[in-house]
Amino acid sequence: MDLNLFLQLFLNGLSIGSVYAIFALGYTLVFSILGVINFAHGAIFTLGAYFTYTLSGGVFGFNGLLANGKLPFQLPFFVALILGSILAGLASILLERLAFKPLRVRRADPLLTLVSSLGAAVVIVNVIQYLVGAEIYTFPDNIYGNIPAAINFGTETRPIMIRTVQVIIFGVCAVIVALLTYLVNGTKIGKALQAVAEDETTASLLGINPEQFITITFFVSGLLAGLAGTLVGSSVSIAGPYFGISFGLKGLGVIVLGGLGSIPGAVIGGLLLGLAEAFVPPDFSGYREAISFAILFIMLLVRPEGLLGRKRIQKV
Amino acid sequence: MINFLNTYGFLIVSMLFGAVLGLSVYLPLMAGQLSLATPGFYALGGYIAAILSTQVFKFTGTIFPFPFLLIELLITTLVSAILAIALGIPVLRLRGIYLAISTIAFVEILRVLALNLEITGGAVGIFGIPQPFATPLEYLWVAIPLLILSMLFLYRLEKIKAGRAFSAIREDELAADSMGINPTYYKALSFTLGAILAGLVGTISAHFINTWNARQGTFDSSIIYLAFVLIGGSRTFWGPVLGGIILTALPEVLRGMGGMSSLPLWLAQFLRDGRLIIFGVLLVLGSIFYPQGLITPELLNKIARKNPFRGILNKQSIKG
Amino acid sequence: MIKRRQFIPLFLSGITFSLVVACNSSQPYANGIPLGVVLAQTSNAALLGQEQVIGAKMAEQYFNQQGGVNGTPIKLALQDGGGDEQSAINAFNTLITQEKVVGILGPSLSQQAFAADPIAERAKVPVLGPSNTAKKIPQIGDYIARVSAPVAVVAPNAVQAALKLNPNLKKVAVFYAQNDAFSKSETETFQQTVKDLNLELVTVQKFQTTDTDFQNQATAAINLNPDLIIISGLAADGGNLIKQLRQLGYQGLIIGGNGLNTSNILPVCQKECDGVIIAQAYSPEIDNPINKTFRETYVAENKKEPPQFTAQAFAGIQVFVEALKAVDQKNKISSLSLEQLREQLNQAILSGKYETVLGNISFTPEGEVVQEKFYVAQIKMDETGKNGKFTYLK
Repeated sequence: MDLNLFLQLFLNGLSIGSVYAIFALGYTLVFSILGVINFAHGAIFTLGAYFTYTLSGGVFGFNGLLANGKLPFQLPFFVALILGSILAGLASILLERLAFKPLRVRRADPLLTLVSSLGAAVVIVNVIQYLVGAEIYTFPDNIYGNIPAAINFGTETRPIMIRTVQVIIFGVCAVIVALLTYLVNGTKIGKALQAVAEDETTASLLGINPEQFITITFFVSGLLAGLAGTLVGSSVSIAGPYFGISFGLKGLGVIVLGGLGSIPGAVIGGLLLGLAEAFVPPDFSGYREAISFAILFIMLLVRPEGLLGRKRIQKV
Repeated sequence: MINFLNTYGFLIVSMLFGAVLGLSVYLPLMAGQLSLATPGFYALGGYIAAILSTQVFKFTGTIFPFPFLLIELLITTLVSAILAIALGIPVLRLRGIYLAISTIAFVEILRVLALNLEITGGAVGIFGIPQPFATPLEYLWVAIPLLILSMLFLYRLEKIKAGRAFSAIREDELAADSMGINPTYYKALSFTLGAILAGLVGTISAHFINTWNARQGTFDSSIIYLAFVLIGGSRTFWGPVLGGIILTALPEVLRGMGGMSSLPLWLAQFLRDGRLIIFGVLLVLGSIFYPQGLITPELLNKIARKNPFRGILNKQSIKG
Repeated sequence: MIKRRQFIPLFLSGITFSLVVACNSSQPYANGIPLGVVLAQTSNAALLGQEQVIGAKMAEQYFNQQGGVNGTPIKLALQDGGGDEQSAINAFNTLITQEKVVGILGPSLSQQAFAADPIAERAKVPVLGPSNTAKKIPQIGDYIARVSAPVAVVAPNAVQAALKLNPNLKKVAVFYAQNDAFSKSETETFQQTVKDLNLELVTVQKFQTTDTDFQNQATAAINLNPDLIIISGLAADGGNLIKQLRQLGYQGLIIGGNGLNTSNILPVCQKECDGVIIAQAYSPEIDNPINKTFRETYVAENKKEPPQFTAQAFAGIQVFVEALKAVDQKNKISSLSLEQLREQLNQAILSGKYETVLGNISFTPEGEVVQEKFYVAQIKMDETGKNGKFTYLK
């Protein structure tokens, strides 16, 4: 394999991996605190993309209850992105109140949150479809200003092309990880979060209100999901209400590979899966999906706690 | 009534299949193992039936001979068991969510294989699968025995040593190990039994739905099958049976309600177009209001005390 | 909120409710002749299904205004077929036995047709597939036919058109969605055509309809310097693939399969759609009176050209209506039993000739559609990259 091809595949891997990573960040955050998997994460991701689309003045298609509707005002993309993500965060809090908290209060089997969050995901996806139909929605292509569609990392004669949107996603991903790592390890809130994650009862004895931190976690997770949904949507369009759900399974693989509940782990897991898929020889492109799960499978057998996960008391 | 059976014959049989699939998830759960491999074995069983009945078995006439179906079931049992043991021994060392995810990985790998292999027909799948029965309703001839036999089997299982070993492992694996129960053996046993049940349902389903392809038995169904057990109740085998029946029927019941002429238009409209919204809401409400599932050992005890036909329910529920 | 105790009774009452409904029998043709429609209104096949529902409803309104079946209107009985096999079967069963439909238009996906069509065949209910293009669908049985032409006929035309635009083209890369029955069948035809024309097939890349990022597949193909790329997929994935191929620097010709023949791909690939050649079973430019009315009505309401799936659903209903008319002229429909009507309707469907929005069509005795003309179009986008149209290539 010559260097040029290698570099192209390597950058391909990073570019795809950063999408997996940005999806997985909010996913893993909820796990790190509650020790449960939030199956509705993909749905919140989708919801965030639709929120931003609506706020930035997007028009709906002619299916669904809100056919041909649009908001009376139109926000600039970046304002819409921030507001949309906040709305997704609020939706995530609502999700926690309706589908997670009641189970926690009743001390139900933690497995049951798989079912209740799946139920919530079914509701969100179908409400979206009921309201705005199954059409594909697209952000205008100048939302990031007048940037070139792709960047050449190679030479004129041997180009190595990566789409600019992917580079942006990669950058945002890096910033979020840095911020989150600081938030968790460098601030008081983070210490308290860790305490709640470690042991809720002890944390509450120390005067930390676990419920408050669970709410914060869901908000941040939803915010990240909304942000990720919009960014990915700006890269590849919002392909209907099932848009985020199709990332869910891969996202699950990513957070397990990286280590459940580990924030840098989610990023490394995402990039690794992206790289693994990029280096699948073209003749075996049909098996690309299987390869990521084969790696996951082997990884679990060799090191169940994932790359960066800690051995911990089993919560689920 | 005939009309009703014709309309809902397919659904009734599907409900019984749902019950058996619930049991298939319940079996490993009896030994405390959260396995989501059921759709994988379900898909595998279906492919075995589809390939054998369209390419291997030769017969004349329009009805697929019943003995061939039995041969398919036998082959599925063997293949599922071998694969389950081979998969189970390494995988069952994992716990909780890690086990669940590794079994999801297994299901996903099978799906991609089915899409790529020549013999499984790729995305188009295998179609024109011959029918052993003339109408969907007649599949009850296999669905009822399959469900009853599995229930009887589980009823017995909960009483004999193996069943007690399962619950011991579920309660505390370390303690069970120190009491001389071999956890690996019993975990693999429960996993294999569950896999065989799923394979058998898949085998019959391939005939039942006329075609088989890589969209049968995927990740989405994993969680639905798990919901069968958790909503139905995971402490007695009556739970998954009831859960499987109710949750399979629910979307179709909503479809039926949407078709009623006496409803106000907006409601009928919502029931038709929004029935999955209602389904999702009921999943959430079900888990909130029935955290132990619809059927709990306590409930069975209560029923048994009131019921003149004591016996079956009573004995099985005592140890809960 | 519902209290715990009320939950079970609610469940049970729901079930009994539907039992009662199931046992009601309907009056024959007082409210119109019931015609079943099973299309995907939920699941991720809904994008396609919604377009079809619009077509079916437009047809119901249009033909009833024209007097229906010699004075008796038709009445569509719509059921959601979802995206899975079980839902399609349940919908078929409901329509056949409960709604007593005379025939069924549906289901949306080929895989669903393989599951549900045998049900109708056994009940002897005529079925028209509006979008099932996989091989062997009409062969499921005597009562199964389709208005959606199999891709075998459409695909070679598109490659010929590409050769006309660039006579020097030699290297061809093929992409297809491997989890989609439609695309899998189509790509086989395309690959055969490429071989028959002595072109060089440099790579075959597979993807999934749920994929969004094609960086890997695109760069792998571009590195082989193809002159032509042929894509078999659906709207969202196909549109993204085109967009990413162009953004990553591919400049040769692109052919999109029949699954990309929808204006839904335009917002996805925007200005990068320009120049893509599309194999079409329906073109808005078809020059006959019914298509003119259809196109005008659709554009007036939806501000864009009607997509193929809408047109095919419309044509399916038309075939039913005209075949019912033919039956009625021989024996009054109200004098026939449901079984007789279904049987005669099936015969009438297969023996008729129809001037539809798809052009002139008829059926082989097996139920395969015989469509007179196929079309190859090229997408032209305006300067803003927002609006585009399919221009007919001669």
